[in-house]
Amino acid sequence: MSLDQKKYLHKLHMNKIKVIICQIFLIVSFLFLWEYLVNKGIISSFIYSSPSRVIKTIKELIESHNFFNHIYITLKEVFISFTLGISLGFIIALILYEFKFLAKVIDPFLTMLNSLPKVALGPLIIIACGANIKSIILMALLINLIVSIITIYNGFLGTDEYILKLFKTLGASRFQILTKLVIPSSYQTIIASFKLGIAQTLIGVIMGEFLVSKEGIGYLIVYGKQVFNLNYVMTGIILLGIISYILYKLIIILENKLLKHL
Amino acid sequence: MNNLLEINNISKNYHTKNGEIEAIKNISFKIKKGEIISIVGPSGCGKSTLLSIISELDHDYFGKIIKDNNLKIAYMLQSDALLPWLTIYENAILGLKIKKRLDNETLDYVNYLFDFYNLSEFKESYPKNLSGGMRQRVALIRTLALKPDLLLLDEPFSALDQQSRLLISDDVYKIVKKEKKTVILVTHNIEEAVSFSDRVIVLSKRPSQIKNIININFTNQESIYERRKEKYYHQYFDTIWKDLDINES
Repeated sequence: MSLDQKKYLHKLHMNKIKVIICQIFLIVSFLFLWEYLVNKGIISSFIYSSPSRVIKTIKELIESHNFFNHIYITLKEVFISFTLGISLGFIIALILYEFKFLAKVIDPFLTMLNSLPKVALGPLIIIACGANIKSIILMALLINLIVSIITIYNGFLGTDEYILKLFKTLGASRFQILTKLVIPSSYQTIIASFKLGIAQTLIGVIMGEFLVSKEGIGYLIVYGKQVFNLNYVMTGIILLGIISYILYKLIIILENKLLKHL
Repeated sequence: MNNLLEINNISKNYHTKNGEIEAIKNISFKIKKGEIISIVGPSGCGKSTLLSIISELDHDYFGKIIKDNNLKIAYMLQSDALLPWLTIYENAILGLKIKKRLDNETLDYVNYLFDFYNLSEFKESYPKNLSGGMRQRVALIRTLALKPDLLLLDEPFSALDQQSRLLISDDVYKIVKKEKKTVILVTHNIEEAVSFSDRVIVLSKRPSQIKNIININFTNQESIYERRKEKYYHQYFDTIWKDLDINES
């Protein structure tokens, strides 16, 4: 390796470290500022809680054996609705791709459903499914499914025309065209729909928990509001922030693995 | 020699919302086995449409095509159409895979072609790591691997730079001659048409009809570089140029 190459690599490495240091600095100073402002009484500790109160709340929750249960319940709901949303979205997109006539027929209805604020369906869902996990999953599904269908379907439509022509000249069957061309060439869009889907699913699950639940992070927030203990609310928000970041990162890792050669 | 393919009175109309367009009108010609034919014509005159009809991609036309039912036709496109998520080797055997003709014999032939084009060391690379010329060679291997009786080339070199274009068209010419393949080449490059083929069919603008058929009588049958030095090369060029020119005005 030449000296210049070494210098270049060193520079890249240093740059990465600098970014991380700045990020840590931002978080730490934010937390300090928050704590300081609350302690000095500049902002209300009742409304905005404080980092130390959040830590205390987490400790209490762990002691009362609720902390991990709330996280587990929310994660479980997210996992179920996300998997369902993505798989159903994928299957429906495939059907629409294979049957273009059907796609044309239901296009306006998909658009309508996509723009409809799904929370408006909340009361209906609760009465139809009852105040249980089913309602929460259905709510999340309503929110993430349409987006998945539309994203994946557009990915399928974006298949390279030339390669499609090549497959036809090779006499490929519809099934071969799907499995060997259309689906693999949509990996990128499918992963993109994962990214959209995970954010939408979190919205749906928390919305669902606001409406019906007895456990979960959404419940923690609603409970905190009802008993005027805003420490719970803040704790819930922070937990959600961390969870969404981790889930998103997991998808990025998956993306890097799947799309290595593209 | 028998005719490999006979095209009788082919016509095709396109239907759009704004009306009907006559794309091709009464085109007839014959190809003998081992012959190389070029089709030239103004852009948008329906050259590619004609290839689509011959390769049975397009069934919606008038007229008749007479050919052996077992005739193996391979189609090579302007874009290399390589799948980015497959290695070069996997791309090269894609056609065989789809046609379910993967066996030791066909794979040996693919390996032979990789050696022939000096691409063996890149077998495990991915398309994005190869130059345009190399990618087009892989597309060529993918086409030849099917051992077609009739090779349809739809402007296969036009996306390449001049240097790669000459190198690869010479490569194609050599292998086609060596294996005595029958070829229909669609191009709008007159030099390419003259140096490559035994006969050049000049099409008029839409609705496209046969304007002229020119037999190219060169002694050299080995390399397009040598063929370009032949005595009547420029005369052929001028004849075709004039045929095209009259059409444009």
